Amino acid sequence: MSLAARQLEAHGIATVVLGCAKDIVELVGVPRFLFSDFPLGNAAGRPHDIASQDATLELALRVLEAAPGPRTTVQSPQRWSDDPSWKLDYSNIARLSPEEIARRRAEFDAQRQIAQGVKGQK
Amino acid sequence: MTDTEDQALGFAPAHDQPVPYLARIREYYGTLGYGAPYRWAQYVDVPYTPLRKPLAKLRVGLITTAAPYQADKGEQGPGAPYNASAKFFTVYSGETSVDHDLRISHISYDRDHTTAEDSNSWFPLPALRRAAARRRIGRLAPRFHGAPTNRSHRTTLDVDCVELLARCREDEVDAVLLVAT
Repeated sequence: MSLAARQLEAHGIATVVLGCAKDIVELVGVPRFLFSDFPLGNAAGRPHDIASQDATLELALRVLEAAPGPRTTVQSPQRWSDDPSWKLDYSNIARLSPEEIARRRAEFDAQRQIAQGVKGQK
Repeated sequence: MTDTEDQALGFAPAHDQPVPYLARIREYYGTLGYGAPYRWAQYVDVPYTPLRKPLAKLRVGLITTAAPYQADKGEQGPGAPYNASAKFFTVYSGETSVDHDLRISHISYDRDHTTAEDSNSWFPLPALRRAAARRRIGRLAPRFHGAPTNRSHRTTLDVDCVELLARCREDEVDAVLLVAT
């Protein structure tokens, strides 16, 4: 998604990326980025919360209008939860048991084979 | 520094910062035994196009990584496990004047802490329609576009990004929101 933003921007179309993975988007390098400090999958706002979704869009539009230059990141003031412990869980090996790691390895192998099969059928 | 000292100073807990996805993913897949770590795209120079007119006079487009629901491709609903068969590999487009059933089961979103019940949290087409209705933006583009999450940077750059640009030009958009999942 960040690569597409760069492509459009390089050809005269202004862009703003809405995302939840701050380090990944900033590593790629995009013109404008609205970062929501939410679990991945909620870049457009909190589920079942129109006020949160409208506020997220409004902030993205303001970033589009007012960014002073490339690599402008604005962080949404919205909080996912008063308890930040959700941030410790995503792909965190330190929090998984050896049994869970083995189970995920098997699952990942299976999904990778499915993806290769789907791509091969194109 | 102890938690008590942190609290006395009004500091947030140490882990209350943006999730370090790059480090997490690197360690995660390394531990699962997947060879060389993924090489993320990384640039020094970043292009920039300022808005030339007020947003209320501009046509705005939308790009998503979400996938159209496909009934024959297994579980894609809220809380579905990662479903690679629901992936798509070429750019697709849909009319913005009608509603769409887009899912993210093919994406590694945070399944521990969100369930993907409400597509408005990753596909803000209704919110954009509201913004257009109140004249916050000039017009909504006639189409939105779906961007594949191809693992190959070469394919993304040479095929998908080129196609997305061509479609956005056909739509004559001035600005685009790209929503990552």
